[in-house]
Amino acid sequence: MSYFDEKEPPKREDRLQACIAHHGTICGLANRKNCKCMNDGDRLFTQGSICQLLPALAMMDSFADSAILLHGAVGCGSCAHAQNAVTKAGNAARGRPAKDTLWLSTALDETDVISGGEVKLGAAIREIDSRYRPGDLFVVVTCAPALTGDDVDGVIRNIQPQVSARLHAVYCQGFKTKIWATAYDSVYHPLGRDLLGLDPEEDEPVFTGDELADIKDEYRRKHAVNVMTVSSMGRVDELELQRILSSFNLTANFFPLFARPEEMYRVTQAAVSISTCPTHDDYLLDHLKEKYGIPCIISTMPIGIENTGQWIRDLATFFGLEAQAERFIEQETAELKSALKQFEPAFSGKRAFVSAGEIRSFVTAGLLIELGFEIAGIRSFHHDEYADAEYRKLAAKTDQDYVVNIANAQPFEEANLLRKLKPDIFLGHWNGNSTAAKLGVPASVIYNTGLNFIGYKGVFEIARRLYKQLTNTAYNRKLSVHVRLPYAESWYGEDAFKYLRQAGGEASA
Amino acid sequence: MRNFIERPRYSCALGGALATVSALPGAIPIMHAASGCAGNFAWAASGGTGLQIGGHCGGLSVPSSNVQESEVVFGGAERLREQIENTFEVMDGKLYVVLTGCVTEMIGDDMRAVIGEVTSPERPVIGAETAGFKGNSYFGYDAVLKCLFRDFVEKSGAKVKNKVNLWGIAPMLDVFWRGNIEVLCGLLTRLGLDVNAFFGERDSLDRLRTSSSAELNIVVSDAYGVEAARLFEEEHGTPFITVPLPIGPSGTDAFLRKVGEALSIKDSVVSGIIEKENETYYRYLDPLTDPYNDFDMQRYAVVIGDCNYSYGLTKFLADDLGWIPELAVCTDEPKEELAEVVAGRFATLESGLRPSFVFETDGSEIIRHLSERWPSSRGERYYHAFSPAFVVGSSLDRELAASIGAGHLSVSFPIVNRAVLDRSYAGYRGGLHLVEDLLGAIVAGR
Ligand code: SF4
Repeated sequence: MSYFDEKEPPKREDRLQACIAHHGTICGLANRKNCKCMNDGDRLFTQGSICQLLPALAMMDSFADSAILLHGAVGCGSCAHAQNAVTKAGNAARGRPAKDTLWLSTALDETDVISGGEVKLGAAIREIDSRYRPGDLFVVVTCAPALTGDDVDGVIRNIQPQVSARLHAVYCQGFKTKIWATAYDSVYHPLGRDLLGLDPEEDEPVFTGDELADIKDEYRRKHAVNVMTVSSMGRVDELELQRILSSFNLTANFFPLFARPEEMYRVTQAAVSISTCPTHDDYLLDHLKEKYGIPCIISTMPIGIENTGQWIRDLATFFGLEAQAERFIEQETAELKSALKQFEPAFSGKRAFVSAGEIRSFVTAGLLIELGFEIAGIRSFHHDEYADAEYRKLAAKTDQDYVVNIANAQPFEEANLLRKLKPDIFLGHWNGNSTAAKLGVPASVIYNTGLNFIGYKGVFEIARRLYKQLTNTAYNRKLSVHVRLPYAESWYGEDAFKYLRQAGGEASA
Repeated sequence: MRNFIERPRYSCALGGALATVSALPGAIPIMHAASGCAGNFAWAASGGTGLQIGGHCGGLSVPSSNVQESEVVFGGAERLREQIENTFEVMDGKLYVVLTGCVTEMIGDDMRAVIGEVTSPERPVIGAETAGFKGNSYFGYDAVLKCLFRDFVEKSGAKVKNKVNLWGIAPMLDVFWRGNIEVLCGLLTRLGLDVNAFFGERDSLDRLRTSSSAELNIVVSDAYGVEAARLFEEEHGTPFITVPLPIGPSGTDAFLRKVGEALSIKDSVVSGIIEKENETYYRYLDPLTDPYNDFDMQRYAVVIGDCNYSYGLTKFLADDLGWIPELAVCTDEPKEELAEVVAGRFATLESGLRPSFVFETDGSEIIRHLSERWPSSRGERYYHAFSPAFVVGSSLDRELAASIGAGHLSVSFPIVNRAVLDRSYAGYRGGLHLVEDLLGAIVAGR
């Protein structure tokens, strides 16, 4: 039985043994005997973080012609205010109207929580369907209705025949999993279950007797690649990947960000799928393989020279274009490297600290080494088996060892580490740069949809940004003189991992 | 009964409470909630509060118990105790405020019992019930104030003459909260008052602790913090007045008069200040006279905001700037009694204008309210259009403005398209700022 037959996807700590609390070093992690498995630790002091709701909304916001109904208290989904801005810009970059995303809340109150929110939910769905006429309505289940036991699937089943929007349940109860990456599975679940199978009549292959048309269609399918996008990738990143694919005569079907639900079935008609972030898509890619026979490539994130090369090689190998790939990579790399020369004096020997999503943090560290930086430490939001290859590549890239901290944000550990390690620059996730900034360390965001990070162009653009950020560091430097972080001075004298209880197996660093 | 809210222009009780505690100098919030709530609010701020996020202990640095399924099954009280005790070690605070969320209230954790065990005079811990289903962000603001007044503010015998407290401006929900508080404190100081606004630049936890000696509480809102003012009066015996958020000369004149009356300040003192402030205001306005008239900068207006801004802005436009607000929309859902008070304000505009006033949570419905007020064109040759027009609202109202060909300025939450640090719209200065920003938007493309 497939996961997609269940009401909701399993949490990633069960499906992938993912974990969020660990500390070690890059060499220690790379040389683990029993790869894949790492038992999760625990923290006795924690800071707030995010839940599945946030990444899930970031994906769903971008789907055309759809609405999102947050079933929960009025605050769940306020994050949409920030994501709305990203989606508007993303639509504009794709030449579509830059409209506000349509999200709504059932705003459950105390009575709803006591007596259940099913009736309200049903009424809300009907009213939204008639007022806004969305093509698809994603009903997001948050913590509160999960605890009251609202049967959201049941409500949807009953109402679906009465409304014109396609209804989907998306399970995002924050307390259910500590691995927010479960969000990707939560959104892919209804896509895989309800939308990929939609093959609108007008698109059904009509037998025309026109052999040339049939051959063209066949050719198109054979050269179409599902390029799995992540919400941190802006249009500029897509264009870089498109450029790479075009040079192999391949076409990119970017999915799922900014896809139109009507057209999602197209993902079932490609030659192959390739992920751009290994921890993002295995749930759907396995489904595409099993149900639709579409093979998939899950290897690395095309960030940095080596990893972009690897990403291209993996794709080219599938199409038997290895020799062409080597020529392409050689030429691109040579051109890029000579362009990067101008930054060498500014970067060489500088120490960088990286903190971001699992794969992104490691590939970005690899890129920084390629630019001439040393790595002072890495923090990664979670660990699962997809990181193992990245640990090994990084460990092999230099003969240095450095701290690796698996943490779902937890900036108090970061503040402690940064005070001790004193890096020259910090590269952090969106909303994750203020700790470094208030300590006076220049910071560079590595998740900002719309900036270029991916591919060869991404390497150059990141280098340009780093050069700029290192050229004048006055803002953070001055800030740190006058603004304090909220931690007790004594905290900086403690072991950064004082409150982290490591699970058996790995010895602490 | 409404079944949903479109793009709510506030967060939940926990979100409002967190913003409030984060704004209190020296206070450390401790969320007893699931792990996503903190990030959810940080993202909301990132897209809603004019580029301000968190403050001293906000964003993702807020201590939070991050309860999981195991706490849902076995209870989270133990986890909370552990979290509070370790917060003492890691965080640098003078007051710790526990805020509960949906999950921990639904599983029935006894937050008060845990607090009783860990609080001490050296490290005071207090707590507020702020589950999202209890109410919206404004409810959370009120809940935190109530818990401060009940559990933190010390009882004091005598009232001190000319000592007042001021609140009613909810941090972050009023994106201009810092500037507004500063300006109003400055004005009251000129009346000879010692003003404690809790969240202002000169305020501190020590001043908050001794705030019970104030002889008057001034709530600059018909809605926000009023319940807390009632509780303050019961607990500490200080009476309160409510005044609408004063924006520009007319509103601020009335504000100062009301405070003066309540404190029996000599009329000549109050009038003297009012006169001086108006003189300054109009001296700044003087050189605008040619452009204002030459460019015909008078506008029809739609005003969209919360209980504070919908009226405050409308009054300024109607009674000071000489614009013609035709529709005012309050995006809150107040209870009946309060709704009447807020609605009643619109019948008192000095200019005699009587704009339509509605409570409406859903932005996309506003155009319908407007067309009820102002008949749309039926294709007649000479159509008296709603033009030239301007929408003063949130950044979610840009689509409305575009659809009716109106100018637009974001003043109410959410504000995604402006940077706000110390800008104020309250007081006389605030009026000048608003003129700058409104007219600035009109000439931006020049
Ligand atoms: S953790 Fe639960 S209550 Fe908090 S934002 Fe996420 S879904 Fe909502």
